[in-house]
Formats: sequence, structure tokens, C-alpha cells
Amino acid sequence: MGAAGIGGGTVNLYSWLSQFFGDPDRRHGPDSIVHRVGEHLLFSGEALGWALLLAVPLGLLLGYTGKAAGLVTALSGAARALPTLGLVTLAVLLAGVGDTAVLVPLVALAAPVLLVAACEGVRSTDPDLRDAARGIGLTHRQVLWQVCIPWALPALLAGLRTAAVQVIATATVASYVGLGGLGSYVVGGLATRDFAQTIGGALLVVLLAVATQLLFALLIRYALPAGLRRARD
Amino acid sequence: MIRFDGAAKRHPDGTLAVEGLDLTVPAGRTTVLVGPSGCGKTTILRMVNRMVEPTAGRVLLDGTDVAQLDAAKLRRGIGYVIQQAGLFPHRRVIDNVATVPYLLGWDRKRARTRASELLELVGLPPETARRYPFQLSGGQQQRVGVARALAADPPLLLMDEPFSAVDPVVRSGLQDELLRLQAELNKTVLFVTHDIEEAVRLGDQIVVLREHGRIAQVADPATLLAAPADEQVAAFLGRDRGLRGLALRPAEGIVLLAANTPLDGWTLAVDQEGRPTGWQRSAETIRQVAVFRPGLDTLRTALDSAVLSPARVAVAVDHAGRVIGLAPRAAVLDALDAAGPDTAAGITATGVADGR
Repeated sequence: MGAAGIGGGTVNLYSWLSQFFGDPDRRHGPDSIVHRVGEHLLFSGEALGWALLLAVPLGLLLGYTGKAAGLVTALSGAARALPTLGLVTLAVLLAGVGDTAVLVPLVALAAPVLLVAACEGVRSTDPDLRDAARGIGLTHRQVLWQVCIPWALPALLAGLRTAAVQVIATATVASYVGLGGLGSYVVGGLATRDFAQTIGGALLVVLLAVATQLLFALLIRYALPAGLRRARD
Repeated sequence: MIRFDGAAKRHPDGTLAVEGLDLTVPAGRTTVLVGPSGCGKTTILRMVNRMVEPTAGRVLLDGTDVAQLDAAKLRRGIGYVIQQAGLFPHRRVIDNVATVPYLLGWDRKRARTRASELLELVGLPPETARRYPFQLSGGQQQRVGVARALAADPPLLLMDEPFSAVDPVVRSGLQDELLRLQAELNKTVLFVTHDIEEAVRLGDQIVVLREHGRIAQVADPATLLAAPADEQVAAFLGRDRGLRGLALRPAEGIVLLAANTPLDGWTLAVDQEGRPTGWQRSAETIRQVAVFRPGLDTLRTALDSAVLSPARVAVAVDHAGRVIGLAPRAAVLDALDAAGPDTAAGITATGVADGR
């Protein structure tokens, strides 16, 4: 297509965007925005789901027992330093091109955040409250479910928000191994020097991430039980 | 009944919290453990519901060693109230109170009905039920804590400094409430405090502790105030213990003068109902009149009334506040003499268990 190269600032940005969003391919077919957003959300959701499954139960348990809390924080810090693109490459080498290649690095990105959130959330439960709960006859399991997890909910939701935004932003790498998502605009555009596509795709990733952020802000504001929302204001 | 049989607690680091304690906590009465901070009183209390496991000796609950019972089940049968109330922040007040009934498997409706009854019993308005703990004052939270402890109607209540975190006026109200409840319910109460005034006010039996849970004295309040076992206990009881002991004797047997007797030029003015409105002497008027109710109030209140009156007489009123007579200071002191020279003749010395 006719993008003549880089230069011209805002005028070009505007024309690129109108060119990108005006293209009929963006409305129908496998390269349409709806389809690409769907792919993107599917990967992100899948990755978050695995991360939740792996990290949250472990985090809750470690937080409740108070064991290895320092280790959790240290490990998570280390895990955050892992380069995502490197992990994708590694996963492709080990598992071949496919869902796994994308899921592994995304899960590796989200899991430490969730682990720390769950662990710290539970660990921060008011000791007097835990003591009272034990003292009136709750078992450990009941204290965890009925006291510590509700207490940790705000921290958990905040962690989930961070993880979701990061995963959605990073799921762009999926297209490196040909699995679509919004990254295909960005990567495909770069490959064909179609900067309209690249810029449009990048904008969509940003919008999706911001929308996620807003969604969680609403969730944290309105979905928590009143006692939790206000008790620590 | 609770019996401590050489119960001791040594911390893992080797420090001794409680050395072998022998003590009987009688059923249906209030026993107060009192002592300076660090004397092991909370540890002793927590041995009963196995929040602390003794490292030696036993704690027997109605003859059964608590170590043989399932901890969670044991605790569901014992009311537990702590200083910070420890209410579940994410649950409404009604569900907080219903916690133990839920644990015991009661259905929701029955548990909530019971919880409503208890909120009323502890003097909370019905609209409190739908609130969250953070919407209540400290005193109200403590009432909810007491209601929660009573919800499954346990025969035994453990109270660990439950009123220490509220201001003195609220504390006094909560103490009155506990006395009223206890008169109605007759639970076995084991109460921990560092406040000797609170101990004297609430206890049928007071256990004064020294460091490492050593018993300094076990006595009923009047005996304790009148005859402390040694200098240390006397010092712990503080000043004016003789006068404070008057608060444990009923104002009875005080000979009254007619209400209209003029005294030193002062007369007591009353309204149409016969309630006192002030003291008058020619142009002088004093509007505040301190009164006492014979039989209902204590000798301390009677003496207070006499001391505060410009006419040097205590003003006796009936339950409706109508004047029934005047008692000169000497008459109040005569009643004190009549009650006996020594410790607790005015009231029977009950609840003295181990008498050491």
C-alpha cells in the first residue's frame, strides 16, 4: 500500500490510522479487527487462566502458613526479569510452533505477579482477626476460606489487574510464531513496511490494555463486599 | 467448672510464661484473672480453649482434659471475646454474630433469628444487624463480640481484656451490661484484665497473679480489698481500698430523718412528685443533689451523697427518685459499723476457691 515512508508527523499518523481503520479487511475475514481482538483475548485469557491455576493456590497456601514468604518475593523478582521474547524462542525450540510456545512466556509473566499478590494478601490478614477466628472454632481450612481469602481479595484483584494488562500488552508476541492476535498487524506491518498496519495494531493493543485496566478498576470499586472496600480506607 | 492442674507453659525459647498453676474456676460465676502485664494471665486463659497448649500439667473442663478434645469442636462450645473484637470485616453484623451457629450447622434462618435475639440482649438496636463492623463504634463492636460469643449458648465464656480498648465511659457501660447479662445467664466466666477496678467490679472470685502465673491471692472482691495477702497485693490494689470496698456493701440499715427536717438552715426543695430539685438556705441555692437508693445503691454512694450535701446529710430516694428521707453522715457511718468491723460481713464471702 501507498505509505511512502516515515516523516511528516501528525499528518502522516492521521492518514495512516484512517488508512488502517478504513481498510475493508479490518471489518471482515480473518484479518478483521474483531477477529484479531478475539484471538488476542483468547491467548491472554488462556495464559491468565493457567497462571491463576498455578500461582494462586500456592500463593494462598504459602501466605497462610507464612512459610517461604521471603523466597516467594525473591523468586518473583527474578522471574520478572525473564525476557519474554527469549522465552518464546526457547519454547518454540523446545515445543515447536504452537499454542504452548506463546502460553509459556505469558504464563511466566503473569504467575509471579499473582503468586506475590495471593501470598501477601493472605499474609496481611489482621492477626487479631485470625486469632479470634481460630478461637471461636474455625478450622485452619475455614480460616483460610472464610477469613484470609476474603481479606486478600482486594490484593488479589489488584494483582490480577496488573497481570492481565501485562499479558494483554505482551500477547503481541504471539504473531512471531504465526498465531495471530493484534501482534499480526504490528509484526506483519513491520515486515511489509506497512506502517499504517503497525501503528493501527499498536494503538489497538494500547486501547485493549487500557480497557482492561478500567474494567478491573470498576470491579475493584463495585464488586468487593462493602466491608472489605471500606474497612481499610 | 474449670480446673487447672499444675498447668505450665514454657515457650520454645525456654522462657517460662506460666509455672505450674493450680486453680479452680467455679461454674456459674465470674472469675477474674488480674495482674500486671506479662504475668501470664492471657496464657492461662488461652490454655482453656487450647489456643495455648500447656507444656506440663492439665486443664480439666468439667473433669475432662481439654487436650483430649478436638480443638475446633471444643472452641465452638466456649464463648471467646478478645480486646480488638476480631469481627469479620466482610460480613454483616448479624452474620458475624451467627458465625458459631453456622459452624455448628444450624440453618441460616435459625442462626439469624438467634443472632437477632442476641443483638437485642447485648443492647444493640435492630438496624445494627445489617451494618458492617467498620460502621460501628468501638463499644458497639465489643457488644457484637460478646453477642457472637454467646450465640451458641455456651456454658463457658473466656474474655481476654474485652473492654480495655474503649474509653472509660463506654467501658463502664459495657461492664454494667456484662453484670446484667451474667445475673440473667449465670455463665461460667473467666475474665482477664490488668485493671483492678474492673476486677473488683465484675468478679465473684478474683485471682491476683504475679509473674509466671504465680497466684498471689484468690478471694472475693470485698475480702481482697479488706485483707490483701501481702504488701505486694496491697500495692497492686492501690490507694483508698477501704473506701472502694464500700462500693461492695449495700446501703442498708441507715436510719433516716424526715425529708423536711431543716439542717443548719438548709432545706431540701422537692418538685410535685417529691423529687429533689435543690438545696436552699435563704438566698442561696444549690441545684445538684447527690442521692442514694437504700437497698439498691452501695454504702459508697450513700457516703458520697452525704459528703456532697451542704447540709451534711445523704438524701435517700426510692426507685422513682422521690425523697424518702435524709441520713446524716454519722448515720451512714453507723450503718457501716453495724455491718461489721472487718471484711465482708455485709455480703457473704462467696466464691473463695483455693483460699490461698
